[in-house]
Order: sequence, then structure tokens, then C-alpha cells
Amino acid sequence: MSSWTITKWELKNTLHNRKFILIFFLQLVVLLMMVLFFSSFMEGIESEEGISLTPSLNQFASLDIYDPQNILINQLNPEILEINSNKIDIALNRLEGGDVTGVLILPSSDDFNLEEIKPVPVNLYIDYEDPKRSVIKDEVSTAQNKASSLISERWINDLTPQQEVSQPQIQEETQGEALPLQLINKVMTAVLLFLPLFLFGNLIVDSIVGEKERKTGEILIAMPLSRSNIILGKSMAVIITMALQVALWMVLMILAGYSIENPGLVYLIVVTTALPIVGLTSIIAAFSKNYKEAGIGITFAYVAIIGFLIVPALAYISQQGRYVSASTMTLAIKVFSGEPLSPGDIIVPFTSLLLISLISYYISIWLFKRDDIVFGPRPGILRLLFEFATLNKVVNYFKK
Amino acid sequence: MIKISSLTKYFGKIQALDNLNLEIKKGELLGLIGPNGAGKTTAIRIISCILQPDQGQVMVGGYDVQENPLEVKSMIGYLPEEPNLYERFRAYDLLKYFGELYGVPSGELESRIEELLELVGMKARAQHRINTFSKGLRQRIGIARALIHDPDIIIFDEPTMGLDPATSLVIRDFIESLKGDKTILMCTHYMDEADALCDRVTILNQGQILDMGSPQELKSKIHGDIILNVSLNDPSQVNLADFENMEMVEKFTLKEDKLMLSLQSRRDISRIIEFLGPNLKAVQTKEPTLEDVFIQNVANLNK
Repeated sequence: MSSWTITKWELKNTLHNRKFILIFFLQLVVLLMMVLFFSSFMEGIESEEGISLTPSLNQFASLDIYDPQNILINQLNPEILEINSNKIDIALNRLEGGDVTGVLILPSSDDFNLEEIKPVPVNLYIDYEDPKRSVIKDEVSTAQNKASSLISERWINDLTPQQEVSQPQIQEETQGEALPLQLINKVMTAVLLFLPLFLFGNLIVDSIVGEKERKTGEILIAMPLSRSNIILGKSMAVIITMALQVALWMVLMILAGYSIENPGLVYLIVVTTALPIVGLTSIIAAFSKNYKEAGIGITFAYVAIIGFLIVPALAYISQQGRYVSASTMTLAIKVFSGEPLSPGDIIVPFTSLLLISLISYYISIWLFKRDDIVFGPRPGILRLLFEFATLNKVVNYFKK
Repeated sequence: MIKISSLTKYFGKIQALDNLNLEIKKGELLGLIGPNGAGKTTAIRIISCILQPDQGQVMVGGYDVQENPLEVKSMIGYLPEEPNLYERFRAYDLLKYFGELYGVPSGELESRIEELLELVGMKARAQHRINTFSKGLRQRIGIARALIHDPDIIIFDEPTMGLDPATSLVIRDFIESLKGDKTILMCTHYMDEADALCDRVTILNQGQILDMGSPQELKSKIHGDIILNVSLNDPSQVNLADFENMEMVEKFTLKEDKLMLSLQSRRDISRIIEFLGPNLKAVQTKEPTLEDVFIQNVANLNK
């Protein structure tokens, strides 16, 4: 009952806090942006052109071209170059006048027969004072390569006798995505599902370290409730906040078109993963004197937690490693992908989750019960480890 | 109501309480006075189950603080030295929160909050946030918070520390109004406050009790009934050995032309005036205060 009172009031305060509401919705906006960018990224990968990581150079440089046989003009990238077809004298005048960066001249059909197997004479005039000249050179070179390939291919086709080839009976799979895309999708979905757990884990720090920094902890400890009630009540409030956020993220992801099978079970897995994360964070919060210390501790802890979640999941996706089931992220991926589950797939991650949770809450309560941790002078980590390992009891026994 | 036996507490290698023994009767207001670091706050934190003792036993209302901390906490209303309250809370919500933590039945809680807000003069500010309050107003809300569950025992740690004289007076009047009905333990640095409010005073230093008794008893132990401050025309004419032989003079000091004499009775004033004769320039009488007792006790210890 006492724990629930703490939970209720912590939740009430958090949800009434304007800063929290602002951060909460900002996170949702960030999620939406990630979803949108990821969708366009996937569309780019699926398209024939693929995606380019080159920064946009839209109409970066201008090029006048004389190409009566259309040898190169169609191979130049109009997104990068502003291409104008002009007669040779006009084009050269424009180059001289600084109106264009380069002029490309190819032979007319009177001067050169494309059917003949010999090099095509290409003249490129560029303004050497214009720094954009290198873009022109690169683009012309790329276009030359493309044109060369096309011409070679045409010659080879012309030389090969046409034969009727019977096509093997292969039915093309038109449903589903290519394997690499499936993997990228799975990783992205898993990351987005688990991300909220790391965004609001620090609430427990504010909740516990804040009591120390604001010195309100003294009156809270004077209340008729145990210190374990305080830790558990505050942790529960953070877990409920995270559960709320995960639910909203999941709804948004489903609305954005993410395919999540068994959403109820996936939700349960993600929210259950919050238990040890909040537990480990509460150890740091119980031990830390101030926010600064807690911040450093959380950085280390979250790196370890992310490693514990993601590494087995990646090992599972790449089908390497035998202990991939230890992570709940692996389990979530299997569940939302609709893969069949073995008992081990469920027992292993939930057992590790339960064990880590129990140990972490036990340690945080053990720390918070100590007067020297809450009121000082705080002992060193080595001494605490020594005492936690009950070696201190052995020493005291022999002292007596 | 509260019985402390052989209480000892260490913070690392520093001993905060050294074999402390103390008993507080039901309905009594006991003051704990002592210099900084004397162990006052440590003692009341142990009684309030905020700290755990290293040795000894503390019984509150028949319960052991180590074995039955929840029962003990339910009986105590604790006001710490700094009224550190949750800044974002409204005054009303703060009292409701602590009322729920104390387990005050929801049917009674609302009327109890109204009653306490009225009592500490904060009814008009009930819906204001704590971070808009001055220290005095916070202290009033702090007192209301400590009383929300109508405890039998109230512990005040420096209740008027840092408050202006007018607010201090309000708080003192309020504490006085609780006397008799509640058992009160109060730490204070203000000797006049202890003198005016406490039934008994305990002087604590380095975790040990130096002296204990009613303010009057303590004052009479140190200085007798009256202090005489005399200004002399010629201090060289005074032979201090004369005062050593006078039974009525309990203590004396001479600094430049100022002679301080502690007398057994007011009746002895005329005899001293007669003795000093024309060397007496001016004379002033002063009642001994608890501050004199405190300074005397601590000064003796530091000699």
C-alpha cells in the first residue's frame, strides 16, 4: 500500500510536469521523423536507382553540349548538371563569357560513324578558373563509361546470332521483401521498440538522487514505510511511465505501416525488459550523491545493457552464436516476425530478466538502507563490494 | 514515552553519540541544546527511525526503534532543521501526500488538512506552490505536515532557525499551544526559546549529556539567584581575595573596570554595594539565563 502511494504520487507529479510532457511529445515527434526517414530509406533501397549517399548537387554546374548523335547527352546526370544543347560556336562563346562551366563537343554523323569500331573523339572545354570544373570532369567521365558500356553491349549483341532460348520454369516471388531488407526492417523495428526504455530510465535518477539533492529524503524516510517501499514505489512509477510510452510508440509504428505480429506479446516483452533496466538504474541512483555522478554511472550501465540486448539479437539475425536467446530483443524479433518459438526461446530470456531484476533491486534496496550511503560519509565501492560479498561478516565474527 | 539507553552512533570513525541515556515523560517538552556537532540531530534522527543506532536501545511508546520502526514512525511527527519540501507541490497536495503516507483515512484527511492549514494560518495559500513560499511559510507548512496524522510525539529540529522574530514568535506560540497534549522533543540553538518553552533541558556536547534539568534548576546551579555587573572607578583598589572569602559570592570575574559577581540571593546586593563603597561607579543586576548555563558548561569542558 505504501509503495503504491509513492507510485501514485510520483506518476501524478511526472505526468503533471510540463517539462516531462514536452519531452514526451518531442520524443514522439522524433520517432515519427525516424519512421518517415526510414521508410524513404527503404523505398530508396527497393527502387532500381538505389540510394545515393552523395550530398545533393542539384544543377551544381552548367554544361553546353553539342551531341548530334546523342552519344553522351542521355548519360549525363541532369540532377547535377544544368545541360544545354547548343551549336559549337554559341557554346564556346558562352564559355568565354563565363555563362557555362564547360562545353562538350561530340562528332556529327558526317564526321564519325558510330557503327565503326574505333574510339569516339570527344572534346571537353572547361573554364579552369571555375572550381566547379572538377564536377564537370567527373560527370563527363561517368557518362563516357556508361556510353562505352552501352555501345560495347550493342556491338556484342549485333555479333551474336539470335537464338530462341527456352526459359526455365522459374516463378518469381513477388511477395515479401528481399532478405537484406527483412534484416534491416527487423533491426530497425526492434531498436524503435526498445528505445523508449532508455529515454525515460533516467526518471528514476531524478526520483531518488533528487531526494538526496533536495534533502527531501529525510522526511520521506521518517514516514511509516520501509526503504524498500520507497525504492519499489518509485521504480514502479518509472516502469508505468515507460509502459505508457512504449504503447504509444507501438501504436504509431503500426499506423506507420510496420508489420508487428502478436503486438500484445511484443509489448509485454518490451515492458518486462524495463524491469532490470530500471533496477540497474536505481542501483546507480541509490549510490550516487548527485546528478553528475549518476549521469556518469548511467552511461556505463546503458552501454552494458544495450550490449546485452543488441549483441545477441544481431548474432541471431546473422545466424551466429549459440546463446542468442539470452536477450529479450531476440525474443521480440522472433515474436513480431511471426517465427515459431521453442520453450527455450521464452524461458532463457525471461529467466535472465528475472534474475537481473531481483539482484539489481536487492542491491539498490541494500544500498538505500545504509545510513552511510544516504547521509554519508559514503564508503568506497571496494568496501561496499567487500561488505556485499558478506566478507565483512566473516571479519566481524573473528573480531568478536 | 521515550527511553534512550546507552545509545552510541558512529559516522565512519567519528563518534556522534557516546553512551547516551535519556528519558522523556509523556506530555513533557524536552529541549536538547548543545554546540554544533554535539549529536542533537543524530539523537533525534535515531528516535525518528531515520538513522540506525550502532549500540544501545531506544524505546518509543513501548516500541523498539530497531525492531518496530514502522510503529514508532507512525507515532512521531518530525520537523527537520531545513523545511525541505517538494517544491512543485501545492501546499494542499503536499499535506495530502504525507497524510496518505501516514495512512490517515481518506474520509478524515480532507478535514484534517483544512484544520491544520487554518491552525498554521495558511488556508489562503492552500493552492499555492511551495516554491512560491518564504522560509517562514515553508516552516508553517512543515509543521502542518508533521502534525497531519495527529502524532503523540512531535520532534522539532531547530524550528525557528533562520526565521524573522515575528515568525519565530508565531512558531513558538504554536509549539507552546501543543504543550501538555503532546510529548515534544526540540533541538534548538536559541537559549531564550528553550528557556521559555521547555519543561526540561538537556545540554549535549560531543555526544554526551553535560547537564539536565528544568531551566530554573540549571540556571541556579551555575549562577545562584542573581548576577551583579559593577563598573569600578579604580579597579586596582579591589582585592579579589576578599570575594573568595565571602560566602554569598558564588563566582566573580574582573575584566578592566568591569566586575561580575554571581550572588546567592538578591538580599546580598546591598552588602556588596556597601563593601565597594565610593569605588563603585555604576551597578546593574541581571537574571541568569540559560545561555549563561550553556556557555558555562561548554566553557568548563573546553578548559
